[in-house]
Amino acid sequence: MESKSSTTGNRDNPNRNLHGSKTMMASHFLRALFRIQQTSTSSSSAGRSRRIRRAAYASMAYSAGTRRAWSRALLRKLRSRARLRFPRRLSRAATPQRRDMDQAQVLRKLVPGGPSMDDCKLLEETADYIRFLTTQVRLMQTVMDSISS
Amino acid sequence: MQHGSREVRGGMAASASAQMALHDDHGSQQIQNPGLHDDFFDQMLSGLPSAWPDLGNPKSPWDASAAQKLFRIDLAGKQPDESQPEAAAEGLRYASYEEATMLASRLSQSQGSGGSSPTGEAMMLQLNNHHILPAVGRSQTAVGGSVGESGLLPLPLTLGSGGAADPRIIVETPRDEMDRPYKSPDHNGGEELYNGLGGSIRAAQAATGQHFHHPQGASMSSQSYGGAAAPAGVGQGPAASASSGGGTPPQKQKVRARRGQATDPHSIAERLRRERIAERMKALQELVPNANKTDKASMLDEIIDYVKFLQLQVKVLSMSRLGGAAAVAPLVADISTEGPGGRAGANGAAAGNNDSLTVTEHRVAKMMEEDMGSAMQYLQGKGLCLMPISLASAISSAACRPSAGGLVPAPPPATTSAAAAAESPSSPSASALTVQSAAADTTAPKR
Repeated sequence: MESKSSTTGNRDNPNRNLHGSKTMMASHFLRALFRIQQTSTSSSSAGRSRRIRRAAYASMAYSAGTRRAWSRALLRKLRSRARLRFPRRLSRAATPQRRDMDQAQVLRKLVPGGPSMDDCKLLEETADYIRFLTTQVRLMQTVMDSISS
Repeated sequence: MQHGSREVRGGMAASASAQMALHDDHGSQQIQNPGLHDDFFDQMLSGLPSAWPDLGNPKSPWDASAAQKLFRIDLAGKQPDESQPEAAAEGLRYASYEEATMLASRLSQSQGSGGSSPTGEAMMLQLNNHHILPAVGRSQTAVGGSVGESGLLPLPLTLGSGGAADPRIIVETPRDEMDRPYKSPDHNGGEELYNGLGGSIRAAQAATGQHFHHPQGASMSSQSYGGAAAPAGVGQGPAASASSGGGTPPQKQKVRARRGQATDPHSIAERLRRERIAERMKALQELVPNANKTDKASMLDEIIDYVKFLQLQVKVLSMSRLGGAAAVAPLVADISTEGPGGRAGANGAAAGNNDSLTVTEHRVAKMMEEDMGSAMQYLQGKGLCLMPISLASAISSAACRPSAGGLVPAPPPATTSAAAAAESPSSPSASALTVQSAAADTTAPKR
C-alpha cells in the first residue's frame, strides 16, 4: 500500500483502527485472490472480476471485524451468498437534483447497513467505511503494481 | 400555497414580488399543503396588526403587515413590531409566510410533542445549510416535523423556551439572523435541496426564518440550532431572503433571556446531537478530499461522491486484475498459512521464482514506509521476520549448510523460522532471504 498519511496519522484516533487491520486485510485478500485464481482459471472474466470484488469487500469486512455496523452488515450480505450489489449511478439523467432530496438517504444506500442507522451513527459509520475502503483500494493497487512490475 | 403567495403578492412591493418569483420557481415543489396556507392567509388577511415597525426593510410594507399577521396568528402575543421590518425585508416572505404560518401552527400543535431527535437530526442533515439561519435550527426541526413526520418536534425544542414560549421563540430570532440566510447566494443550492424535501420545508424554513427575525432575537432557539446550522443556513438563505440583507450580524444570536432556557432537556439533547454530528462531519472532512466546503449539504455531496468513487475503484481494480491472475500464485505461495502444502509450494516458489519474494518485499517495504508495526505484523503473519542483514546471511548460510556449524549454531530450519514467528515457513533460506531483502529495503524507502 502506498504510504498514507504520516505515521502520526496512524496514531490518531480515527486511524488507529486501521493499524492492525491493514495486514489482516492484505493477507486475507491475497489468500482470497489465490483461491480465486486456483478455482476459476477457466471461468469467465466477468465472474472472476465479481469474485475478486467480492473478495475485496470480504477482506474489508473481516479486517474490520464485528465492531462496526457496516462490517457486520457486509458480512451478513456476504454470508448469505447474495450477489454483492452496490448502488451505482444508474443514469445520469436520474440525478437532476444534485442536492439530493435526502442526502442521508443516498448515503444510507451506499454504506452497508445504512438504512438502519440514524444520522449520527450514519456519519460515523461512513467515516469508518471510507477509511477501510481507501485502505482496500490502496491494497489492491499495490498488489496490482506488484503483479505487473 | 401558491395561491396564498399569489394573494399576498398583490400587496407586495416590487422587490418582494421579485423574490417571490424566485421563490415560486421552487414553489412548485414547495409547500405541499395549499389548504393550510389558505387558512393562514385568511387569517392574515382578516386583520393585520400594524405593530410591526421593527420589520427592517421597508421595502415591502406589505411584508410587515403580512408578517404581523403571521406572527400574530401563530405566535400568541408576539411582539409584532419586531418581525415586521424583517418580514418586509424578505421578498420571499410572503411566500414563506404561508409556510411559516403553517409551520407555526404546526409548532403550536406539536409543542408538547418533544423532539424526535432522529427526525430533527435528519432534518438537520438535510436542511442544515438551508437558508434561514435562525430558522435553520428551528426550521430544520420544524421542517423535519412537517416533512418527515407530522410533528415539528424539533422546533419547539430548539426554541427552548418551552411550552407556550415556543412560538415566541421562533419570533425571537434576531433579525439579523433572519436576514443572513436570505442573503446567501447559495439559495439556489439550498432550494434544490429543498426540492427533495418538498417545497414545504423550504418554505417553512423561509417562513420561520422570517418569523424569527423577531426583534427579541430568539437567540435561544437559534442558539440551539445556531451552531453549524446557522452559519450554514446563512449561506443558503433562500433567494427571497436575499432581500433581507440585514447585514451580517454575528450569527451568534444575541443571547437573549431565552438562552437561559437552554436547560430545557429537549434543547440540550438537540444541541448534543448537533455537536455530535458536527464532530462526525469534521472527522469525515479529514478523510474526504476536497473537504473544504463549509456547508453541510455540499459536504455531504462530497462524501457521497467519494464513497461512490471508492466503490467504483474497487470494481475497476477487480476487473483489471484478471490479467495478472497468474502472477498471484507465486505471490500467495509465500503465505505459509497453507501449512505443509504451503511450505512445499513456498519452497518451490521460493526456489523457482524470486518474483514472489520481490513482490512481498516490495509490499512490505511500502508498508514499512507508513507503519512499521503493521509491516512487522504482516511479516509475522507470513511466518517471516525482519532481521539485520548480517544475521540473515549468517542464518541462511547456516541453513544452507545444515551440517556446518557456521557462525551461528545451525539450528534446524524450524529454529531459523523461529526467528520468524508462527508456523513453518516454506524454507529457512527463503525466509531469510525474504527477510534479508526486506531488511535491505527498509533502509531505502525510509522517508
